[in-house]
Amino acid sequence: MTASSSTRTRRSLPPWLGNLIIQASALLGAFTFAALIGSLIIIGYHENPIDIYSTIWHFGVNRPEDIASVLVNATPLIFSGLAVAVAFKGGLFNIGVEGQYIVGMMGAAFAAIFLRSLPGPLLLIATVLGSIVAAMIWAFIPAILKVKTGAHEVVTTIMMNGVAVSLVAWTILNPLRSHARHLIDLRSQTFPHNALIPTIAQTFGLQQQIPPVVRFTWLFPVALIACVLVWFLMYRSRLGYEVRAIGSSMGSAEAGGVSIGATQIKIFLISGALAGFVGLNQILGDKGYLGANYEAGLGFAGITVAFLGRNNPIGIVLASLLVGFLSRGQDGLSVTSNLPIETLIILQGVLILSVIIAYELVSRALNKRTQREARSEESAVDTTTTAGAEAT
Amino acid sequence: MPLVTLEKVTKSFPGVVANDSVDLTLKEGEIHALIGENGAGKSTLMHVLYGLYPPTAGRILVRGKEVKIGSPRAAIAHGIGMVHQHFVLVDRFTVAENIILGEEGGPLIDLEAAGQKLAELARSYGLGIDPKTRVEDLSVGAEQRVEILKALYRGVDILILDEPTAVLTPSETKELFENLRRLTGSGKTVVFISHKLDEVLDIADRITVLRRGKVVGETTPGATTKQQLAEMMVGRPVLFQLDKPDAAPGEPILELKNLSCEGKLHDIDLTVHAGEILGVAGVEGNGQGELAEVVIGLRKPSAGAILLGGDNIGGRSVAECRRHGVAFVPEDRHERGLVLDMTLWENSVLGHQGEREYTGRSGLLVIRKIKELATTLIERFDVRARGVNVTAQTLSGGNQQKLVLARELQGDPRLLVAAQPSRGLDVGAIEFVWKQLLEQKAQGRGVLLISAELDEIYELADRIVTLYEGRITGEYQPDASPEEVGLGMTGKSVAARKAEAGR
Amino acid sequence: MPLIDLGAAIAIAFNYFTIIYLTGLGGLFSERSGIVNIGLEGLLIIGTVMGAWGTFTYGPIQGLLIGGLAGLVFSMVHAVATVTFKVDHIVSGVVINVVAVGIARFLSQLFFGQATQSDPGLPHLTAINIPLLSSLPLGLGQAFEQMSPMVIVAFLVTIPALFVLNRTRFGLRLRSAGENPEAARTLGVRVAPLRYAGVGISGFLAGLAGAFLSIEINGLFREGQTQGLGFIALAALILGNWSPLRLMLGAFLFGFAQAIPLRLGDAPVISLLPPQFINMIPYVVTIIAIAGFIGRVHPPAAAGKAYEGAGAT
Repeated sequence: MTASSSTRTRRSLPPWLGNLIIQASALLGAFTFAALIGSLIIIGYHENPIDIYSTIWHFGVNRPEDIASVLVNATPLIFSGLAVAVAFKGGLFNIGVEGQYIVGMMGAAFAAIFLRSLPGPLLLIATVLGSIVAAMIWAFIPAILKVKTGAHEVVTTIMMNGVAVSLVAWTILNPLRSHARHLIDLRSQTFPHNALIPTIAQTFGLQQQIPPVVRFTWLFPVALIACVLVWFLMYRSRLGYEVRAIGSSMGSAEAGGVSIGATQIKIFLISGALAGFVGLNQILGDKGYLGANYEAGLGFAGITVAFLGRNNPIGIVLASLLVGFLSRGQDGLSVTSNLPIETLIILQGVLILSVIIAYELVSRALNKRTQREARSEESAVDTTTTAGAEAT
Repeated sequence: MPLVTLEKVTKSFPGVVANDSVDLTLKEGEIHALIGENGAGKSTLMHVLYGLYPPTAGRILVRGKEVKIGSPRAAIAHGIGMVHQHFVLVDRFTVAENIILGEEGGPLIDLEAAGQKLAELARSYGLGIDPKTRVEDLSVGAEQRVEILKALYRGVDILILDEPTAVLTPSETKELFENLRRLTGSGKTVVFISHKLDEVLDIADRITVLRRGKVVGETTPGATTKQQLAEMMVGRPVLFQLDKPDAAPGEPILELKNLSCEGKLHDIDLTVHAGEILGVAGVEGNGQGELAEVVIGLRKPSAGAILLGGDNIGGRSVAECRRHGVAFVPEDRHERGLVLDMTLWENSVLGHQGEREYTGRSGLLVIRKIKELATTLIERFDVRARGVNVTAQTLSGGNQQKLVLARELQGDPRLLVAAQPSRGLDVGAIEFVWKQLLEQKAQGRGVLLISAELDEIYELADRIVTLYEGRITGEYQPDASPEEVGLGMTGKSVAARKAEAGR
Repeated sequence: MPLIDLGAAIAIAFNYFTIIYLTGLGGLFSERSGIVNIGLEGLLIIGTVMGAWGTFTYGPIQGLLIGGLAGLVFSMVHAVATVTFKVDHIVSGVVINVVAVGIARFLSQLFFGQATQSDPGLPHLTAINIPLLSSLPLGLGQAFEQMSPMVIVAFLVTIPALFVLNRTRFGLRLRSAGENPEAARTLGVRVAPLRYAGVGISGFLAGLAGAFLSIEINGLFREGQTQGLGFIALAALILGNWSPLRLMLGAFLFGFAQAIPLRLGDAPVISLLPPQFINMIPYVVTIIAIAGFIGRVHPPAAAGKAYEGAGAT
């Protein structure tokens, strides 16, 4: 992840601009590649790729409702991507956002059901806190194990995900379970209405344009605020500075007086807190309960979003919008064409892999150039750089 | 007919010519030393010969015939083997597995047979080694023997050794030299890459000097002196004596009392006074790294005290040690000094980021202040960079080291711990670093200088202690002979030697 | 405790063992070549759908092979990404898992006309009774009755696996690629093909395990039928310290844990624990193990690291 900060194209261009141009062209290349692969599949189904792509486009942007659903799709991904990214900046891989948000939903359900007597917005606040705290606890376990015993967080968080699924399944069947007669599916008791997040349409009286079904809640603006806060945290605060130092060079950070363990635990807790927002829209949007068939996989999606967005808050918003847009297109395709909607899942995968590969190639090329420039700077005899060339 | 001839070999990397039209001949049965400064192109040249890099131009002849060496495998087929500076062994493999790797002799492996063949080979060259031991259980000297055996097992006639003595104790070096002589005695040819002139004069039959990628001379030990070789390497007369002002030691700044650490340091007692450079000499791997790290707080002492101006800082965190006035120039500036993909301004505050000046009460960085600091440091230490917003990895090694020094010396530290401060630097940068260390002394700070280069210790230190297997084995004045100090580095104090002689 | 239930539970454990062990063994080859593979779950999924299709079309033996080959082909995505393009192994593995679900649906739609499952009643291999063992008294014999031949194959595959790893040139080189690729390269051993091979073996074995799951256990393809067994295989691999024999033990223990809620739910002690908690056992045990309470595990030294040397491309 080094290249983004170490770029320099031409002397005349400011580094960030050259950086941007190169990355944008890499992205473009990756998109083209993915679109070509997609076209092949589409042609295989005797459909016209251009028609299909324009259907996807129209389903994402035509009506306010469409745009709102794209934003709704993007909301959990933004949180999830941020959760992965902050940890990654500190050199930690939080594969456990998946388990953390599932447990977070459980925490929210507990708060909403057992604190149901709380008045007005207090219950909503308690419910959101319930989710955040539960997710943070779930993140704390791998973090403390990492710091105290060296247990690798990739493995522990994968295992914590497995535990989370079983734990939540059990709570839905037992303490949280609804015994209402007419229910077919297993789910928790219904939350009081004041535990739910108001929709934006409701606030502004736009129910005509954006039906409540879309669940376009105030959580989306909160996600954008979270991005700004995360950016500030990472690039303007001492904690963020220390986290990035650890992520890039743990040894140098340590010698610079950064307390590695404490900082890693802090950033993992922040990551967990962000994960606590991932599941909120699906239970506090309009459903008002936690069902056994909750939407899983958002934590893993966050990993891909974080990597698509280069672990950068703005990039993560864009990547989330893209993925949200493609999922929306999926819904559209199921109505209008013979193409199996799964094509888009595959397409998404191809896109993600090709973008990541494109970035990888770009950053390697840029690194080489940086080193070359460092070398030519001091003419031939510089030591470290030549040593770099000599090391095999 | 020479065994190997390199004709006008050029190797360029983007932006740099590592070897410029180099001519070199190797004669059968000789020990040929290839010397030059860091970055002079010695290793690159040998990597070309060993097939790791294709030459940009020029010819390679083996026994008079032109050959193309496209891979290490091809090099080995031509009888050329190489022992790299950093050993490339699989730690969890046995000696036998390491040696047969890539040369298994068929789709199935027979470790028994290979072990027997190896044992025989080892015996015939006097290289003691047990094929069944795992490499991770071997000493450094033994690992080197495994590397040499790896080449011999492949039937090479020419053995290239890249800085082979850098990691060895003097007695291991002696043993290595005996082994090399035995090898050349049985017809093998050795290329010995080094920058240690005494060793080269001791072991080589012929010497080729490289400077900035070019051959600047060829000679024999009998026809030259250390001074001449040094001048050839550097390209100008080298003053081996810097102007070292007399020490005026004041109060003790750092006192280590019975300090032990993780089985790597045992009962260390030493004192660094204000206005004094204390040199810690020793072969690498004898606890030097641990000594530096325990003083800056990267390691916790298991016993004893570290007094800094009378306060015990043993076991405190790095941040606390720094607050007490310890500054640290690490042995490895990439691993312990700089965050390479952060900007210069971000690097310039590392270690001081907690100070109120740079982090406000809100926990936010005061970026304006930090950039001011960075600009000042860069100017004062003449760090060549395009502003403070570029990343540290765009700097050359010398400039990176200057940045580290500049950062560590800000804010008036009381004690500077400098570990191998001139490692990997060219002569100009080394001089700069040395002058800075002397300047610290002149300003009344204490300097704990840890170095594996005896020259550097002599150049700078006002007092010398030797470290061997984690113990202080002797204390010397700078006028003590290198032989005496060398004995301390091998664990024999003068007293012990006298006792031995008396027996 | 009624032993008849124990016998039945062991029979089920053998089935799960087969999935976990084959998948874990694949992961072992991949990781010992230096490529971390958390895409095992996705490879399993591909095996289930392709295996089911192969069986409907050609028969169970072909179905198993097709499942394995499909896993191999799909694993090449991971190999290309991680070995050739040096993408982070974890990221690539995650993408593999996500994409596999999509591909499985896509293929299921294509083969079976519905996205999430096939028709039931896949033909399977002739089940066998193990002589002597199947006549064990007190119902224990049940464990060895009506066993899928694949279970025996899974046990037997240990022998060639150990042989290849420890006694062949390929195995030695594969391990060197995972421990110190630089050492391999300087001796003229090319690292990239070895890593491709390691990943390919993991793809084949995981695909085979997936096909076994759909053909031999469930008799159909159904979305979600892998239930995270790929991750449990990963857990068994870590617990088994990347060694086939210890992996085998771990796979059996975890397989048995899977069987407990199904057959031993009424046994003393266990009946007090909800099945969901029993499902947690493999994960919890693994967390405890790698947290160092049982003893440290040692992954291959270079696993997870891209190799930048010229020989890698």
